[in-house]
Amino acid sequence: MNFDDIKVGDAITEGKHPVGKYQPHYYAGASLDFNPIHIDPDFGKMVGLGGNILHGLCTLAFAAKTCVDYAGGDPASLKRLKARFSKPVKPLETVIVSGNVVAKDGDTATAEFGASTNKGENQVLTNGIAEFRKI
Amino acid sequence: MAVDKKFIGKQYAPFVYEVGREKIKEFAKAIGETNPLYLDEEAAKKGPHGDIVAPPTFASLYAGGPVGEMLYDKELALNLMMLVHGEQDFEFFEVARAGDTMTTNCVISDISEKSGKSFVTAETMTTNQNGRPVVKARWTFVIRG
Repeated sequence: MNFDDIKVGDAITEGKHPVGKYQPHYYAGASLDFNPIHIDPDFGKMVGLGGNILHGLCTLAFAAKTCVDYAGGDPASLKRLKARFSKPVKPLETVIVSGNVVAKDGDTATAEFGASTNKGENQVLTNGIAEFRKI
Repeated sequence: MAVDKKFIGKQYAPFVYEVGREKIKEFAKAIGETNPLYLDEEAAKKGPHGDIVAPPTFASLYAGGPVGEMLYDKELALNLMMLVHGEQDFEFFEVARAGDTMTTNCVISDISEKSGKSFVTAETMTTNQNGRPVVKARWTFVIRG
């Protein structure tokens, strides 16, 4: 998708991101965030999270992938990425990112997006905003 | 326990980070990326940036460095056991290329309470070795109960 082809009302191509049992561990290693809530199921239970949870920034990385892929694959096209981490993502869930283009003004297109998991209707990312620039 | 509002405005020492070629690939693989601009040197050389570049949220590493320092700041004494990431806002000015040296400044921009939870927000500004802005970010953390 070229910038010129992005139209208000378009749906962003849905992104599906399966979260493997060890995804939090892979992301911990890559991001250097070894907070035990992400890598230790017993610790996650102890602090009331029901087990270990995925890093919010990993979920946001999935959203970034969905947005950049939609915009043609060059990360330079992503001008802004914002979201609220409404609910934790757990291992063995699938994060589904979807959104719509809501505005286009000159060299910037704006999309609203959210993410849910396949376990129930969990909205894990809300208030998502992605802005694309013409490159 | 409430977080003392007196820490609003506290700054952390500029954090310097050199973007590593292999680190970009590690990070990209860890988030399930397949984009050749992050992973394939040959394809990236023919692409728009002439070399491999980092996925957008790789900023979590270079811009997040001083945010990590804030989270573990003994003076601020956040209860990490009850802390989760609440919101994130990245504004991207330029892509991060392998070999770039990033410098990030970090300030605590807000501390508040709502419904028995504490909210701590940091703002970071990252520039590259050419002095150009790369990423401006807002990081909001929630301390439950």
